[in-house]
Amino acid sequence: MKKNGPVVRLKNGKFKVDLADDHRQLLTQLIEQLRDSLTTTTDGANLRRLFPTAYNNDAKKDAEYQRLMRDELLESRLAAIDVAISVIAQDDEITTEEIDAFSRSINSLRLVLGTTLDIAESDYGSPDDAGQSENSDSDQASEADEYLIQKELYDYLGWLLEWTVSAQSENIQST
Amino acid sequence: MSNFTFASIQPGQVQEVDQADETQSDRPWIVIVWNDPINLMSYVTFVFQKLFGYSLEKATELMLDVHHKGRAVVSNGSRERAEFDVYRLHEHGLWATMEHESL
Repeated sequence: MKKNGPVVRLKNGKFKVDLADDHRQLLTQLIEQLRDSLTTTTDGANLRRLFPTAYNNDAKKDAEYQRLMRDELLESRLAAIDVAISVIAQDDEITTEEIDAFSRSINSLRLVLGTTLDIAESDYGSPDDAGQSENSDSDQASEADEYLIQKELYDYLGWLLEWTVSAQSENIQST
Repeated sequence: MSNFTFASIQPGQVQEVDQADETQSDRPWIVIVWNDPINLMSYVTFVFQKLFGYSLEKATELMLDVHHKGRAVVSNGSRERAEFDVYRLHEHGLWATMEHESL
């Protein structure tokens, strides 16, 4: 029997997001920070995965594409963020469109956090990289603590996204 | 998603190469999704199903190509169609690019 997680698909085809209050607050805070970053600039190094190139072998075409589509992509991300904040704040049943905006926003957060952490294939499951600083001075120890906190957030978002995708996939398989 | 990496490009980089010959304009475009270490395998599979209507088997096969080979061609067609698909993949946080299909 499948154990219920924080995101479930209901028999009526809608979804339910069941999070502890402190998790709701944390997620809202993180997503609002992402919104603030996006409304300030889309050129930040940690945001680059949210605005990838479309033509990686043709700079001219890519510049044209970015000129036409970048603002639209930004608007789409901001709209999804608004919906995600609303989803997190409520206990009501939510629609397919709302869970889609929620999962895209959680994934956006992971992409930004993963970029900040410089996540690589070998980083799965272990925050050992931060241990390099444990015998160094206090600044390095502080950086290691910060890394561990961010890595824990990154792993939490991955856990939440796995449950969300699982619920969304049930929807696809039922149609 | 794998240890396989394409060091020649990054999500924010564009290579400067000779401009495509006009004769390329008639060739179809392909949309490529590249491997990255952040996106979840389940999420990538789900996005392929959702955006392209692929079966779970087909979507999983493409995801595993991305995972093991570093890239997978997920759609093809006109330039407009490819740009539309690239945009939707970018909306979902996947690293997608487009190029002319090889001769």
